[in-house]
Amino acid sequence: MRYKKRLGWFGLVLFLSAGAILEVFTGPARFSFKDLSPIVNFRLPRLGIGVVAGGVLGVVGGSLQGLLRNPLVDPWTLGVASGAALGASIAITAGSGTSLLLPGAAFLGALFAIGLVYLLARGRGGITVTRLVLAGVIVSFLFSSLVMLIMVLSRHTLGEAVYLMMGNLGVVFTKSSAWLFAVCALLAAAGCAWLVFHARELDIVSLNEEVALSLGVDVQRLTRMVFLIGSFVVGAVVAWTGAISFVGLIVPHLVRMLFGPRHALVLPGSFLLGAGVLIWADVIVRNIAPAGLPLSVVTALIGVPFFIYLLRTRV
Amino acid sequence: MKAIEIKDIKFGFGERLLFDRFSLDIEAGEFFGVIGPNGSGKSTLLRLCAGILKPEAGRIHLFGKDLSRISRRQIARTLSIVPQESFFTFEWTVEQVVMMGRNPFLMTFARPTVRDWEKVEEVMGLTGVLELRGKSINSISAGEKQRVIVARALAQEPEIVLLDEATSHLDLFHRLEIVRILVQLKNQGKTVVFVSHDLNEASGYCSRVLLLASGKTLACAQPEMVIKRELLKEAYGVEPVISVHPLTGRPQVLLPPA
Repeated sequence: MRYKKRLGWFGLVLFLSAGAILEVFTGPARFSFKDLSPIVNFRLPRLGIGVVAGGVLGVVGGSLQGLLRNPLVDPWTLGVASGAALGASIAITAGSGTSLLLPGAAFLGALFAIGLVYLLARGRGGITVTRLVLAGVIVSFLFSSLVMLIMVLSRHTLGEAVYLMMGNLGVVFTKSSAWLFAVCALLAAAGCAWLVFHARELDIVSLNEEVALSLGVDVQRLTRMVFLIGSFVVGAVVAWTGAISFVGLIVPHLVRMLFGPRHALVLPGSFLLGAGVLIWADVIVRNIAPAGLPLSVVTALIGVPFFIYLLRTRV
Repeated sequence: MKAIEIKDIKFGFGERLLFDRFSLDIEAGEFFGVIGPNGSGKSTLLRLCAGILKPEAGRIHLFGKDLSRISRRQIARTLSIVPQESFFTFEWTVEQVVMMGRNPFLMTFARPTVRDWEKVEEVMGLTGVLELRGKSINSISAGEKQRVIVARALAQEPEIVLLDEATSHLDLFHRLEIVRILVQLKNQGKTVVFVSHDLNEASGYCSRVLLLASGKTLACAQPEMVIKRELLKEAYGVEPVISVHPLTGRPQVLLPPA
């Protein structure tokens, strides 16, 4: 048992490291020691964003699947991505598609969506999981239609916004936007740490709300915090990369197959595997796929067959 | 010493009040049965005692302490619940499920200590699930699963164990097995509150039985005083035949011919 787990961790680290090496040393520009500028300016930032984004999606996906007691939940279920898309669309149509304003607007949009979902989910007797999911779905619909509306009214930005929100790691950093990203990454790390530290309570709440209460878990507080913190860190990521699909859904499942359902193992494992999968997908996008392919296309093309496999054999 | 003291509580779902100035005392060390027709408030009463539902008025005390003033962790160390059925979204092992019963003793960041592992081992032995410890909770039978849930409840080291129709979907053998564990608990001085649809089970093992009908106490006394034709007719609208158990002398209920 011990041995198998160690092998699992080793595999995850190896997978991520191999992807990271390929990400840094492959690409259209040949590697040479004389000119390291493509690596420093282009590939290392890409690697950084990829690791943070993939890791966060894995951790939050795993946490929300536990909290909502539903293995088909992903980090986008609760409406964060639609808020970010709305924020980004508004920024683009307002003509301020700068490298700083765009993620800023997307992040604000994500926060707005989180707040709206939270207010809708709160009711008599506090926040409940069912209301949270319903509110998330409704807010997603509302914001998606608003994005459509904005696109139709301002025709020319149609492609740009769609492309942006379908996921890519190609952020060109300026000095100020690099700082903003560093802040987001730090917040994301703190949020993920909080979730990992509450792993045992997530284990218990994943059984059933009443059982969790009777085992001494403050379910209200946990639900509120996991939703707010999870959505917040995902919002901090989606603002930079767009809504990369399937990573947050599939990765926790794979890790559970490896380590069993304990969140103390599933969440850190999902961070490593999520980061690895995203980096590998980006390597494919940059080296094999036709230029400009959104990341979500790759993650979905890998993810869907796997999902069908899960559906046929496990659920 | 009163293990559970319910004083003048009011509680309802929506407009309709289910309990209106309802009171009940359960002594420490009792094997207390709760019976009554569907919708009479049996499960709601348990949830109120466990602090899962909050009364709109009135007070509930556990060993003299006001339930609304003690923390969830504290409640979980005093009282545990065995629900009728449990569903598991993920593939937990039996041992992991039982270990969850130690949660009220563990701080957020802490890992289980040697004492926690010993306790888990002890209660798994008591409920006879030790040999299942590494198995997936979804791969074992309903009877085994319910014993695992009882083990989890015991891992909480509770003074009071509440059972919500915990035996109703088990066969004879597994029923008796659970009841034996409960009797053993009672003999150790724990308080057992046993909600059941099975009148004979309640009558056979409980020291006192509460007959509920739409949130009101029809009777609350020894089984002989509660399992009576007129009372049961009033509660259930059926006139049953009452006989006596040849071995225990407790009253038993038979359905009339259809």
